[in-house]
Amino acid sequence: MIRRLVLDVLKPHNPGIVDLSKELSELDGVEGVNIITYEIDQKVENVKIILGGSNIDFKMVREKLESLGAVIHSVDEVAAGTRIVEEVGTPQDKSARL
Amino acid sequence: MRFLERIRDYIRISRVASISRRYFIMNAFDGAMTSLGIVVGAYVAGAPEPFFIISAGLGASLAMGLSGFVGAYVTEEAERTRELDSLERAMLQNLEQSVIGKASRFASVWTGAVDGLSPALSSILCLVPFFFSSLLSVELAIQLSIVIALFILFLLGAFLGKVSSRNMLLHGTKLLCVGLALTFLLLVFRTIY
Repeated sequence: MIRRLVLDVLKPHNPGIVDLSKELSELDGVEGVNIITYEIDQKVENVKIILGGSNIDFKMVREKLESLGAVIHSVDEVAAGTRIVEEVGTPQDKSARL
Repeated sequence: MRFLERIRDYIRISRVASISRRYFIMNAFDGAMTSLGIVVGAYVAGAPEPFFIISAGLGASLAMGLSGFVGAYVTEEAERTRELDSLERAMLQNLEQSVIGKASRFASVWTGAVDGLSPALSSILCLVPFFFSSLLSVELAIQLSIVIALFILFLLGAFLGKVSSRNMLLHGTKLLCVGLALTFLLLVFRTIY
């Protein structure tokens, strides 16, 4: 049961993120969508998509994005199960970043 | 309903609205001017025979419709394919089956339809009085046909005014003057010959 999904997505300028969010929010199991554009090129843009819900179907999300001309670059975060577990900081994070 | 929504999505995604507006005005203008030319020309030539006017007008409408559809469709398809290829290279993936590919194909057909139907319809509308030539006198049919053509030209101009958020009356009058100029020129020919 996927509850939260954070995706790094490459998409053309059209359809825009308003259409994209509407289409994604209509998927079964998705209760909320947040899309942030963080890089715009001449023909494409990179967006971060955060999906929240009770039971997100990853395959369905991927197919929906592909049908809209977008492609998933990476899956950056997944939270699954009956309870959402937030990221916690550890000493290793600091050394890993160094 | 779902079908109409899909069409609206395709129009928005392919951004075909502005180009089809241009095609619509340009070709509806051509259609009305052609019919006006045929009607006034037939009158000037002294052969205002309804059957000939209808035949010539319908022939011209069909030719404009067909040429408009095919011309716009193939041109638009070539341009859209080029754009899609370029986008596919940027995305590093095939977009044929995506909504972008579908919208692109739809845009070609849509522009073709607008480009073909607008001259044909505006041209046929101008000929309507001649379909009732058994009820009307030929002179009245000619006058009505000229009025319809001029009215269409005015409406097209007014529509342009609305699109550009300018004075609709002024823009309508501009195109109306073009129609009046054509009528005047043809009538001058009559006095010369």
